[in-house]
Amino acid sequence: MNSLPALVAVQIVAIAEEVFAAMVDGEPGHLVPWAEGPVTFADPVHAWVEMNVELGGRVLLTTDAGTADDLARALLGMDAGEPVSEADLVDAFGEVANVVGGNLKALLPVQGKLTIPAVSRKSPSAAGAVPIDEVALAWRGRPLVISVWMIEKEG
Amino acid sequence: MLRVVVADDSRVMRQIVIRTLRQAGYDWEISEAADGELALDLITAEQPDLVLSDWNMPNMTGIDLLNALRARGDDVPFGFVTSEGAPEMREQAEAAGALFLIAKPFSADSFRQVIDPVLA
Repeated sequence: MNSLPALVAVQIVAIAEEVFAAMVDGEPGHLVPWAEGPVTFADPVHAWVEMNVELGGRVLLTTDAGTADDLARALLGMDAGEPVSEADLVDAFGEVANVVGGNLKALLPVQGKLTIPAVSRKSPSAAGAVPIDEVALAWRGRPLVISVWMIEKEG
Repeated sequence: MLRVVVADDSRVMRQIVIRTLRQAGYDWEISEAADGELALDLITAEQPDLVLSDWNMPNMTGIDLLNALRARGDDVPFGFVTSEGAPEMREQAEAAGALFLIAKPFSADSFRQVIDPVLA
């Protein structure tokens, strides 16, 4: 049996709020539930980590590239509008996924190995991926979706 | 002045750790390593007073770094700063000889709570 279904939306939201308050914003209140209808992304970028817990799982964050730029600026203490390199975007958004994923994994009864974060304009492979739960959040008014997946390995 | 090695494959996270150390009031001389293997070389060369290391890193993980240091008789004080905060990971860290494990996300207060007793 896979323990990932035990991760429910309320836990995802609580951890994301804690991570953003401590690491990104320095204060709570800037990451809240999305309340403006269906989420659409004009220029999506994805960051995820996978965990080898029994059948395996994935924690995936998706937002717009402009929002990921602002996340990098916040984490690196950069000024608004200061250019963000692709390397810094990948590093910053990946590290947010790493910390959210690591804290979600810590809630599971069985620990496993957490992968190094991946960041891409393309969503990760859907092969064997079964959605467990998803939350739509707004960071400083802009959408950020966090989803948890179970990954069924072949063979 | 204490000399400290901060090992993390994320430059962003190294910067956050260093910024938080300063916010916590630690005016230390800090060297950075981008993975466990580089950290092992740096620690061997610099003989720092403290190592703050991530757990999941390419080439050599933080726990492998700690084990490699202890295997060669290096007793440098070592703490983890990692997103791996589960009790199982804490037990593994302690068994390998780590002094503490600070879970990400962290604050200057959480740094002081964990690091001050080690310095005392």
